[in-house]
Amino acid sequence: MHVSKIGITALVPPELIFACGGEPVDVNNVIPLSKKYPRNKLCAWTAIWKEMLVERELSVDSLIVVAGGDCHNALVDGQKVAMSGIPTHFFFYPFDGDPEYMESQLHRLSEFLGGLEFPEKIKQINDLKKLGQQIDIKRSRGRITSGEAFSILISFSDLRGDLNEFQKIAASIKEHNIETTNRVALIGVPPIFYDFHDVARSLGLHIVFDELPYEFIRHQGADIREIARDYCEYTFARPLDFRISFLQKELEKRKVDGIIHYTQFACHHMLEDEIIRSRLDYPVLTIQGDLPGNTPQQIKLRLEAFREMLERL
Amino acid sequence: MIARQKRISGGIGLDVGSTTAKMVRIEDGEVKSRITGTHNWKELVNGIKADIISTGYFRNSVPHKASVTEITAAIYGVRHYFPEVDVIVDIGGQDTKVIDVRKNNFLINDKCSSGTGAFLEFAANYFSIGLDELGLFHRRAERIPDINNTCGVFAISEMISQLVAGYSKEEVVAGMHYAFARRISFMIPEAETIVLIGGAAKNEGMVMALKDILKKKILIPGEPQAINALGALKYFS
Ligand SMILES: Nc1ncnc2c1ncn2[C@@H]1O[C@H](COP(=O)(O)OP(=O)(O)O)[C@@H](O)[C@H]1O
Ligand code: SF4
Ligand SMILES: [Mg+2]
Repeated sequence: MHVSKIGITALVPPELIFACGGEPVDVNNVIPLSKKYPRNKLCAWTAIWKEMLVERELSVDSLIVVAGGDCHNALVDGQKVAMSGIPTHFFFYPFDGDPEYMESQLHRLSEFLGGLEFPEKIKQINDLKKLGQQIDIKRSRGRITSGEAFSILISFSDLRGDLNEFQKIAASIKEHNIETTNRVALIGVPPIFYDFHDVARSLGLHIVFDELPYEFIRHQGADIREIARDYCEYTFARPLDFRISFLQKELEKRKVDGIIHYTQFACHHMLEDEIIRSRLDYPVLTIQGDLPGNTPQQIKLRLEAFREMLERL
Repeated sequence: MIARQKRISGGIGLDVGSTTAKMVRIEDGEVKSRITGTHNWKELVNGIKADIISTGYFRNSVPHKASVTEITAAIYGVRHYFPEVDVIVDIGGQDTKVIDVRKNNFLINDKCSSGTGAFLEFAANYFSIGLDELGLFHRRAERIPDINNTCGVFAISEMISQLVAGYSKEEVVAGMHYAFARRISFMIPEAETIVLIGGAAKNEGMVMALKDILKKKILIPGEPQAINALGALKYFS
């Protein structure tokens, strides 16, 4: 039986893709390690997946572009992929969190994917997400390094395309005893540098919260109706107020000392920086990345200075 | 990474930056400094037995007992002279840093050459004058032409057009200082006490333009270029 590879450009309920018999592939996963220098770019994330899909360097049978409530660069680059002949579906989150609208979007998505075939997969994924939440808590308590936790949590968008295999990897993650002074939250889109968490750790910063990956393990539901109601709360698609009050609670729970706000060159999320700074009452370090690779020296300097600053407080 | 709890006495502070290397010792309570080009940093420590505390871009590439970033070093160095400082502006060869000491916040421009010392060197070179003559030229200007370009390279072509339009070299230098100071001013938050450090603080023309734009008093320590070397030393003592 041919299992269709379904590319996704951001969070699309993977429960639904698996339940429809597809295998999700988060097209962002290959980017931090990619050496591609995209020709026509704003944000390097969308520019690189667009180019790799159009040139068929990344093989998918179809693509789901998350556009509404998330990213207009993806909306445009997604259309270029569609024009190159790959069946493409555009998925819109409701800005106002309307559950009926969300439900109708999920029904349209499941139609695009050929309909629900293996509804039992939904439960299996919900169980995996519980495992993800445990990993997240252990990391925040210093039992798992932030680098290892991040690499698992960020994979929850597509569960690496194979539930059983992913279950094994997630369950076998090693535990340590890590000192968690200088507890920082990493908010914004994920850094485009593949070694960011390890670099931060080597410079004495312990990342105890990853905003976007936390969204990947947080939402669930037993059926489309429930999934719609939970994913409506996906903070990145909602008004800033909503996202910030959610962050306030999480940061308090995790007792963070400071925030790193990662921004991506040419991404609209950059415009949120001043609001985040004024509304979240923590020291904030804003950094910006552009092309993928290892963490540049200029960013390391900022991280180190931020650690020195937290230690002075 | 050495924890700061470690106290080091009788050491020297060595700031090896992108463009220049600075060394500071404290002798009988008096701050003594020496400055040379980055790649000649060795001559600053030749024959010196004291522990080196390093800072600057090359802080981890030179021998050191302990090191600290320029951002933290700047705070400790400036406080030696101005304990009440609110905001520090460090204009170096390859970047400009603005540190809000009150809010524990810092901003670094290292993406665009037009707000860094390198641009001032580029402009001095274009007129075939020394860096220390930029201030003199600025003072002699009678009018100040508008230079608006935010890109360093295009600012030079704009300077050329102003020369063609009949402005003197002195006036174009003054216009260039205003354009430079305006870019820096966008990075500076509202504050009582602003302290300017880094090599570009020695450029009187730029300082005059910045004071005029901010309409604020700007404090400059005696040897503004060696403040981070001093701060590195103070951080561990
Ligand atoms: N005597 C001087 N007069 C005017 N400007 C100077 C003078 N000396 C240095 N500068 C400026 O200072 C810059 C170097 O600043 P510095 O703080 O030493 O840089 P870094 O710490 O990055 O090595 C030069 O690019 C130049 O613009
Ligand atoms: S970083 Fe910003 S612009 Fe780039 S894909 Fe993500 S949301 Fe879109
Ligand atoms: Mg410097």
